[in-house]
Amino acid sequence: MTLSAADRKLRGESRWGTFALGVITWLVAALFFFPVFWMVLNSFKTELDANTRPKLFFEPTLDRWQAVTESIQGVLTFDTAFFNSFLIVIISTLLVLVLAIPAAYALSIYPIKAWRDALFFFISTKFLPVVAAILPLWILAKELGLLNTHLVLIILYTAMNLPLAVWMLRSFFGEVPRELIEAAQMDGTGLYGQIKDVMLPIVAPGVAATALLCFIFAWNEFFLAVQLNPVEGSTVPVWVSTNVTTRGNFMAKLSAASTLAVLPVVIAGWIAQKRMIRGLSMGAIK
Amino acid sequence: MAEVKYLEATRIYPGTDKPAVDRLSLTVEDGEFLVLVGPSGSGKSTALRMLAGLEACDEGSIWIGDRDVTLVQPKDRDVAMVFQSYALYPHMTVAQNIGFPLKQQKVPRAEREKQVLEAARILDLVEYLDRKPKQLSGGQRQRVAMGRAIVRQPQVFLMDEPLSNLDAKLRVQTRAELADLQARLGVTTVYVTHDQVEAMTMGHRVAILDYGVMQQVATPGELYRHPANLFVAGFIGSPAMNLIATTVEGGSVVFGTEHVELDPAVARAVADGGAADIKLGVRPQGLSLGTTGVPAKVVVVEELGSETFVFVELEHLGRTTRIRVRADADYHVSRGDQTHVRVLGPVHVFGADGSRLRNASEVEG
Amino acid sequence: MTAHTEPMGSPDPAAERAAAIAEFQRRDKWRRRLPLLPALLFTIVVTQVPFIFNIWYSLQDWKIVPPRGPDFTGVANFTEGYSNPFFLDSVVISIGMTTAAVLLALLVGTMLALLLDRQFFGRGIARTLLITPFLIMPVVAGLLWKNQMFSSTFGVLNAVLETFGIDAIPFVERYPMWSIVTVLVWQWAPFMMLIILAGLQGQPSDILEAARVDRASGRGIFTQITLPMLRPYMELGIVLGAIYLLQVFDHIEVMTGGGPGSTNVPYFVYQRSIGGGWDFGQAAAYSIIVVIASIIIATFALRVLSSLFQRQEPV
Repeated sequence: MTLSAADRKLRGESRWGTFALGVITWLVAALFFFPVFWMVLNSFKTELDANTRPKLFFEPTLDRWQAVTESIQGVLTFDTAFFNSFLIVIISTLLVLVLAIPAAYALSIYPIKAWRDALFFFISTKFLPVVAAILPLWILAKELGLLNTHLVLIILYTAMNLPLAVWMLRSFFGEVPRELIEAAQMDGTGLYGQIKDVMLPIVAPGVAATALLCFIFAWNEFFLAVQLNPVEGSTVPVWVSTNVTTRGNFMAKLSAASTLAVLPVVIAGWIAQKRMIRGLSMGAIK
Repeated sequence: MAEVKYLEATRIYPGTDKPAVDRLSLTVEDGEFLVLVGPSGSGKSTALRMLAGLEACDEGSIWIGDRDVTLVQPKDRDVAMVFQSYALYPHMTVAQNIGFPLKQQKVPRAEREKQVLEAARILDLVEYLDRKPKQLSGGQRQRVAMGRAIVRQPQVFLMDEPLSNLDAKLRVQTRAELADLQARLGVTTVYVTHDQVEAMTMGHRVAILDYGVMQQVATPGELYRHPANLFVAGFIGSPAMNLIATTVEGGSVVFGTEHVELDPAVARAVADGGAADIKLGVRPQGLSLGTTGVPAKVVVVEELGSETFVFVELEHLGRTTRIRVRADADYHVSRGDQTHVRVLGPVHVFGADGSRLRNASEVEG
Repeated sequence: MTAHTEPMGSPDPAAERAAAIAEFQRRDKWRRRLPLLPALLFTIVVTQVPFIFNIWYSLQDWKIVPPRGPDFTGVANFTEGYSNPFFLDSVVISIGMTTAAVLLALLVGTMLALLLDRQFFGRGIARTLLITPFLIMPVVAGLLWKNQMFSSTFGVLNAVLETFGIDAIPFVERYPMWSIVTVLVWQWAPFMMLIILAGLQGQPSDILEAARVDRASGRGIFTQITLPMLRPYMELGIVLGAIYLLQVFDHIEVMTGGGPGSTNVPYFVYQRSIGGGWDFGQAAAYSIIVVIASIIIATFALRVLSSLFQRQEPV
């Protein structure tokens, strides 16, 4: 429960104090957001304007936006990168859910004796830096012909997000009262029915929050994408980095590319804010 | 409808050495309303869940009808359960909740709706069919849980303290409705509660458990009149029976300044077993206050309107002992008053091991 | 279901019964395990197989540029690598960078959470603005700060400094590690903020009321009730933050390209393998060392996590 007026009085805050704090919060928020704002602002400048001393007022143009979205032969283009990213991220997130939901069930409802060990194992895989594994992964991918494919990233992103998903979903499932599952058992459902008809509808917000987090982490992933899919199947983060050049001025173009790149995740995050907060708090703590 | 049998059923939780349910042997007749009652930790809920299949049966067996269901999954046992918290599916309407088991049995939609409607009619839920559980009151939710159980037409109903979450007045009212419903449907029912009043008023027979061991199973009247041991005697009946340690002199047992004559069979049993550690049990209703009897001082007066219970202090075997006595509603005393306690009977005598010593009539009959 | 006669007396039905119970328990155990298997198997294959390959590679003398091997050399890669001063530097940087980023992010995040934990006009919008840095792609964040905030020619920070008459500071060149830490804190403070906010909002109001009745001061309430209550949330934030921040790569790649003073262990290992060094044997050996160290850290961190698990006991 966020503090209401009554709670604030409990805390000994005066109404003016609250107002002042509110203003301070606004200023801090604006300051925090400023770099993002600046980046978006720069995308509407000409390269001339962008590559000089920072200025707030200028004549806006959509020129750089056009430059960044046009298709050039032989160069990774905006629409290809976005298509690849959406495809890879959505499929891998779905795969994560398909694997993690039953696993979370097994670790929460009628858990195996070694449920803690299993959970620890999943989380421990996140402690291993992916950089340490890139060499054998690269060699393996090459041997299996998976370099520059969608599949390799789908598989790796799934493995990357699975521990987080299992952990969060397990917490959510744990919140479902035991008796509800037992009632479902007595009413004749098996594992599949219990998950589909009883658990999932109840923990739907938690599943949404988990999916969103997986989406964010997969979409923003750069290292594996640039190492394993440098030519084809490249994703948006790789595409952004291709807009950094040593020749000529590129700030405005880069800003436009950056804005485009972060747009899907930012919008999704903004819309699902409340869910994500609830998801982080329920899934992580409790 | 079927007979239910526990045969030396035992449940020991892994990691503990004392059984939660210890070699329970109990037969529930077809159509009977049997109540399992006991304090918390007595194993009554565990025993019920063993019958449901939600709790494993480590030793012994459990039978429904002529089937050994000890190793059978809950959904294949043909039993329906009403949970203490009702366990209603929060995302489904009342109609969907009640119809859920039928859906699992692949009952076609039209037939399903018909049966749901029928159950709703019996439970007076028809106008709530489209609501979700959170829009219902406690009593209504309880009825939905009942509906979900009824609609399956199972062989056995299991109820785990279904009235505990209702307020007192609603509880009393629903008690009668439940008993009536069971009588009408005639389904074998096993009912768990910690409230002995509920047990006495609802059950055909009542089984009392303490620490996993069954103490006695009998009709309410039998339990009241002939409790098997100290535990049952102190548990059944409200207010509780007075239990005081005492000694025997001659063929009588000492009570304050009085001697109460014993039934010859009881006297003989006491003599055989040695007169140590025996307890006298007499209900508040078996005592009265007046001008004759053991001198006593009034400590607390509990006026209920229909009758009054008075806590008095008297000297018994050199110690100050408190007992509760029933008085008529128009008998007025206050704290500090002096009065006398007389024994009207019946009295019970309990041996050193806690079991009640039988009267001559019981021994013969 | 077949009808049985009551099992009493003779030993044979009893033995049959024991066997039936054992069979039932065996099947029950597998029924519980089955849903876990797909996820478990998938994770094992994808994460452990590369590890096994790494062990094999680490025992080889294997370079690509100039081409050499693979020839078996035993633990030479390890002994050489273990004492490599650049490696040790990267360990120091890793520890420093992660610790600084995690703790500062937690500090800033907690302050933000405290600010946000009240009803005021436009609260939702303020919160929306505050969580945005966490959603930004690390590559974009690194580029953004390097070119538009820190840059000595057209960075905003230096423009502000100039108005105060201070000379431009080439942040990234002069303070590579701290520049990166700044961006990390900017991105992860919102994450910490969300976790702490969840903790603050979980505060039961009746405890606060009781404290008020007991005439506790505002500061007293904070230090003696709120802070202790936030501890598990802070611990969670630290562990989760450390997990991700230990593996920072993108920021280093786009901001400093691994210059001295900003190379952490992951980046160092990368440099050794396909990031320029092309010494596969060495890189694999470093990977193994890192993995072993990670396991040690993980065991320690998971002990912290397990105290969080105490609160969630399934039956």
